[in-house]
Amino acid sequence: MPPKSAELFFKSESRYRMLVENSCDVIFSLDMEGYFTYVSPAWEKILGHEPTEVVGHNYREFIHPDDQPGCVEAIDKAVRSGQVGESTYRIRRADGSWRWHTFRGTPHTDENGVLTVIGIAHDVTERLRIEEMMAHSGKMMMVSGLAAGMAHEINNPLGAIMQHAQNIERRVQADMPANVKAAAEVGVSLELVRAYLEKRGVFAFIGHIRSAGMRASEIISQMLQFSSRGETGVVSTDLTVLLERVVELAATDYDMKKKYSFRAIEIVREYAAEPIFADIAQHEMEQVLLNILKNAAQAIAGVKMQREPRIILRSSFSEGIAELEIEDNGPGMDEAMRLRIFEPFFTTKEVGIGTGLGLSVAYAIVTRGHNGTIEVRSRPGEGSCFTIRLPGRGGRDE
Amino acid sequence: MNNADISVLLVDDDEMIRDCVAAYLEDEGFSVHSADSAEAALDSIAAIRPAVCISDLRLPGMNGDEFIIKAHSLCPATSYLLHTGMLYSLSDELRAIGMTFEDVLLKPIHELSQLVDKIMQIVAKQGEKRNEDA
Repeated sequence: MPPKSAELFFKSESRYRMLVENSCDVIFSLDMEGYFTYVSPAWEKILGHEPTEVVGHNYREFIHPDDQPGCVEAIDKAVRSGQVGESTYRIRRADGSWRWHTFRGTPHTDENGVLTVIGIAHDVTERLRIEEMMAHSGKMMMVSGLAAGMAHEINNPLGAIMQHAQNIERRVQADMPANVKAAAEVGVSLELVRAYLEKRGVFAFIGHIRSAGMRASEIISQMLQFSSRGETGVVSTDLTVLLERVVELAATDYDMKKKYSFRAIEIVREYAAEPIFADIAQHEMEQVLLNILKNAAQAIAGVKMQREPRIILRSSFSEGIAELEIEDNGPGMDEAMRLRIFEPFFTTKEVGIGTGLGLSVAYAIVTRGHNGTIEVRSRPGEGSCFTIRLPGRGGRDE
Repeated sequence: MNNADISVLLVDDDEMIRDCVAAYLEDEGFSVHSADSAEAALDSIAAIRPAVCISDLRLPGMNGDEFIIKAHSLCPATSYLLHTGMLYSLSDELRAIGMTFEDVLLKPIHELSQLVDKIMQIVAKQGEKRNEDA
């Protein structure tokens, strides 16, 4: 029979206890010094500590130092004003990792007149991760649209700069009759004009204008690839076969051979037994995979390795999603770098070596061009692992 | 054949681009004409009967691909090149008049001598075709 009223329902302490003990959120009480006097069983499930490791300890022991001021303020507010105090903070798990929690706390005076703060903490780590991902992809979309538009607008003036530099070179060439004629008309010797320009380094300047233009033009053409999608044919492709083709391609790449000694890297293959198919623009996806492979080889080549260099390639399929992984055992990266790795123009390479566009183009190709996702996991000193997931079909092509 | 006998029509609304390509081609001795819009080019193309017409893709008013279709109906003997700042895949209509991806020039052209080579190849092919037809 349903209870007559909420008041009646909550009269029973055993019901209270049941609610508290079965809550997915952590329920706790703190004394006025900030020591835990109670934590509900959810704490152990979420954070891994035994209750005895928590009760009697100060909450600050568990909170990330950067987030402590916010918590102190929220608890103060609750105690002083009697209102709900709220804060979001990182809390340390038993294994040393951090979770994001948000809590609401209210002051409570028990029958003996002892004041405590009763709080409910909710784990928001996953929600924050998704929010961050969405903000990131929104930013990427904006930047990539801007990049494509800019690239197009820059091409004309850039073309004029480069081509007029060529025109200048040609109009002082000694063997062009029109030049000889024009020089004679104004009464100068073309040889002397050339000798002067040479002596003052003007020819070198013109050469620099041209090579600088070439460099800019290469960047522009990479930026344009943000907008190139759906234009090349999309075909059903066995992703494992494609990945193998890219490995072959990488082995013949000049930079890979000469600079990053790709052949010295052990390639471990952990492929799905069955072929896995996805509808892709093959050339674009090759570019994505080659880029990741090159970065891996480059990262490995960039450090003195204490272990044998190795790249693991994986392919798998489950529940409509085809997955490719490229994992290296290079130097890895810290969290700050990992978060920015797909940003356009973010590079860790020297000026002139990397434009910081390779992975951002890869991101645009996978996410926008193919409705897939691309992620990276990494730990400094242990290597990085890129995962690409695409809508796909397993087993056989239909 | 002297280059002066080879006429080239440049269609681009950007004066800078017209000027720098024209200057280079003039130095090579070609007979160079230019137009700042598709409409202007359509007015003059029948009188010029260029061997090669190089058109920008993005033009005010009529676009470059549309222009080429119209120009081709006026001057079918002319060979057309599409000059574009965007990655572009040829429309079926342009394929139907015999254009291939090799006839799409991506801006900026790094080396104008390559454009000259391209024009010379086209003119050589046109010569072969005339001989076959004769």
